[in-house]
Amino acid sequence: MSGRGEQQDKPLPLPSTGTKAMYALRAQRKRNRLGDLEWFDAAYRVYVVGLFGGIVLAWLSDRVGDEPLSAAQAANVLQHGPAIVGMAAVIAVFAGLRSGSQGGPLALEAADVTYVMLAPVSRRAALLRPAVQRVRSAAFMGAIVAAALAQLAGRRLPGTTVAWFFGGGLFGIVIAALWVGSALVAHVARVPLIATTLAGIGLVGWQGAAIAREIPGPGNLFGSLALWGWRQRPIDWIAIVVAAALVAAGLALVARTSLDALARRSSLVAQLRFAVTMQDLRTVILLRRQLSYEHTRSRPWFRLPLNHDGHAVWRRGWHSLLRLPTGRLVRMAALAIAAGACQVAVVHQVTPAVFGTLIAIFILGLEVMEPLSQEIDQPDRAASFPLDRGHLHLRHLAAPAALLVPFGILAGVAAVVVDVITTNGDRIGPSIAVAAILALPTVFAGSAGGAVSIVRDAPDPLSAKSTDAFMPPEMAGLTNVMQTVLPLIVPLFGALSVLAVRASMADGATAAISAAARMALGLVLLVAAVAAWVRRRDRIRARIRQFMDEGRAQTTQQRSTR
Amino acid sequence: MNASRGADALAVTGLTKAYGHGGDTDERPALAPLTLSVPQGQLVALVGHNGSGKTTFLRMVAGLLDTSGGTISVHGAPRDSMEARAAMAYLSDQPTFYDDLSLIEHLEYVARLHGVTDWHERATHLAEQLGLSDRLDKLPNTFSRGLRQKAAITLAFVRPFSLLLVDEPFVGLDAAGKAALLGLFDEAHASGAALMVATHELSFVSRADRLIALGDGEVRYDGAPGDTDVQQLVFHT
Repeated sequence: MSGRGEQQDKPLPLPSTGTKAMYALRAQRKRNRLGDLEWFDAAYRVYVVGLFGGIVLAWLSDRVGDEPLSAAQAANVLQHGPAIVGMAAVIAVFAGLRSGSQGGPLALEAADVTYVMLAPVSRRAALLRPAVQRVRSAAFMGAIVAAALAQLAGRRLPGTTVAWFFGGGLFGIVIAALWVGSALVAHVARVPLIATTLAGIGLVGWQGAAIAREIPGPGNLFGSLALWGWRQRPIDWIAIVVAAALVAAGLALVARTSLDALARRSSLVAQLRFAVTMQDLRTVILLRRQLSYEHTRSRPWFRLPLNHDGHAVWRRGWHSLLRLPTGRLVRMAALAIAAGACQVAVVHQVTPAVFGTLIAIFILGLEVMEPLSQEIDQPDRAASFPLDRGHLHLRHLAAPAALLVPFGILAGVAAVVVDVITTNGDRIGPSIAVAAILALPTVFAGSAGGAVSIVRDAPDPLSAKSTDAFMPPEMAGLTNVMQTVLPLIVPLFGALSVLAVRASMADGATAAISAAARMALGLVLLVAAVAAWVRRRDRIRARIRQFMDEGRAQTTQQRSTR
Repeated sequence: MNASRGADALAVTGLTKAYGHGGDTDERPALAPLTLSVPQGQLVALVGHNGSGKTTFLRMVAGLLDTSGGTISVHGAPRDSMEARAAMAYLSDQPTFYDDLSLIEHLEYVARLHGVTDWHERATHLAEQLGLSDRLDKLPNTFSRGLRQKAAITLAFVRPFSLLLVDEPFVGLDAAGKAALLGLFDEAHASGAALMVATHELSFVSRADRLIALGDGEVRYDGAPGDTDVQQLVFHT
């Protein structure tokens, strides 16, 4: 019988009973999982990760080179390295604090939250293993990445490869511990998001000042650990102790983890992992927003006046954009500023900053295309409209494009400000001209990439899985790669446009401005081509499919007549 | 704090829930300050229109949702204490299951977590009552909506409890399932457990000892079910 009422004379179960059962059954489930593991599949994944890791490492190795630095250069690294590398530690703490405030870093199975966390078992016992696993996996990843990078640095700096490898590994473990530890502590202490964000910004700003002004920064001791392959300072042990103390405090208080957060994160994290595996960018974005409590505003920034003449899609776009939450608008502004700053870095010969611009404008494009994304998310509704789908999608580009204008201007202003600071205002006129010409087309190129990514994921009304299945494996693989890379091509052109300006700067300001104008024109044409593709995508696909069907029919007919 | 059998099965004081403030989120509280107690052995029907705060209230009492204010005690013990968790069972309207456990393995796990050693007989009996006998070795994550609900019911009843919180238990159940569930409620009620059942099935209300109606996060009615027009209460508050 179930009701406790009939057992009122019996004592409540002792806590240890349930905890022992939990340990025993967890062990059994682990054995079952290992038994069910497809070892060949696991080995293949390790092989793929190893292969790509090796390629990246080889490329980085080529970029870094192996010529030892001069004594002056090495002294420079010793002087500035700890502050610069220490920024990684500060960012880890920043990310950890925010993750903790948003319910991280733990994520249990949804069923574990319902059955284990609500059972009379010790919550510390129930949560300790997932927490330790979190620390362990983060430390492992941190150690691998940092050790690989450190041994590259060791090829040009004093110290043995082995020393750099282990020194880097230790640094990676400490960074991972900082991240997980600060997340755990922020979570169990229930620190509000605004407090962790402000604290994180303060720490990053302080470390930035430490880099620029050579003052002691909060990450310097941690950054100094990264040089242990070269030299070890006893005082750096403080960094290790701080990271260990953070983790220990988090683990000691892990029983205070919010069940509310665990319940919410459990299913979201599982879905997020699956979406990442499936390369489903839209789902990843939506789940990421849910994980960080990012909701559409319940009240728009301002209400559009009732207007029966305005176009429905244009108004729907603005209804959506006027509900963008504060956090997202701030993030979009930060992305625009980052894009401007990265473009200036490219002009200053830091060519890899192109990738910074690429990422910033692409994400900005995805953020601003919310109305189009929502339309794609509801294909049945869109299909019921008496409007051609391509036409509908094209119209959805208008409102986001209008909203991008202030962000483009912000990117341009940021670029000018950064350039003026770094050149002491020696070329402010040409800087303003180039920024004015290139800023908007560059962010539009980013949003065009975002649009390609979103529209590409739209369900295809013409798709017939049976015909797709006839695609040769070689073509399927190529198509998959193309689909992944395609959305980044247009933003990449946007990011690369500044290279033309850089190349013509030697010929004077007028040449640089002319180059900017030519690149801007090219980008505008590219964006227009993307808009045309959005408009005619279904028709193009229908024609291709018709062509293929006709080919198949002809082949079948030929075979039957033989 | 030890659970006291003399105390109410559930005591809630000044319980509130707000989902934030400012234009980014809804300013209206999901639950206004709410104070009530449920004595041992009482069957309470919790009704209210969609969004009235029933699920929010039950999830907060169960410990799955943080409160914005107020206190919750189960038999005098704080909500999150071991004693409260041992005494309280929660049957959600959205059942969750492990991917890698069959129904019988779920039943064993849940029963043993609650210190029940002679669980097998009880588990098979429950499965039989709900028509799941031939599915005990199947994975409940692969079940249909109704079967998942039945599986969740077996998991709620396989363990001992003195307070049962139930959220929309009849959704997706066939007639036999509903009858079996009502039988289990009667059994638990007769054995002295307190039950709080949130439902839109107004026919269930007549079985309850007490009716609590929520509307926009506030208690609109708290009393005997026979004293009021439930239809009016649920749909016109």
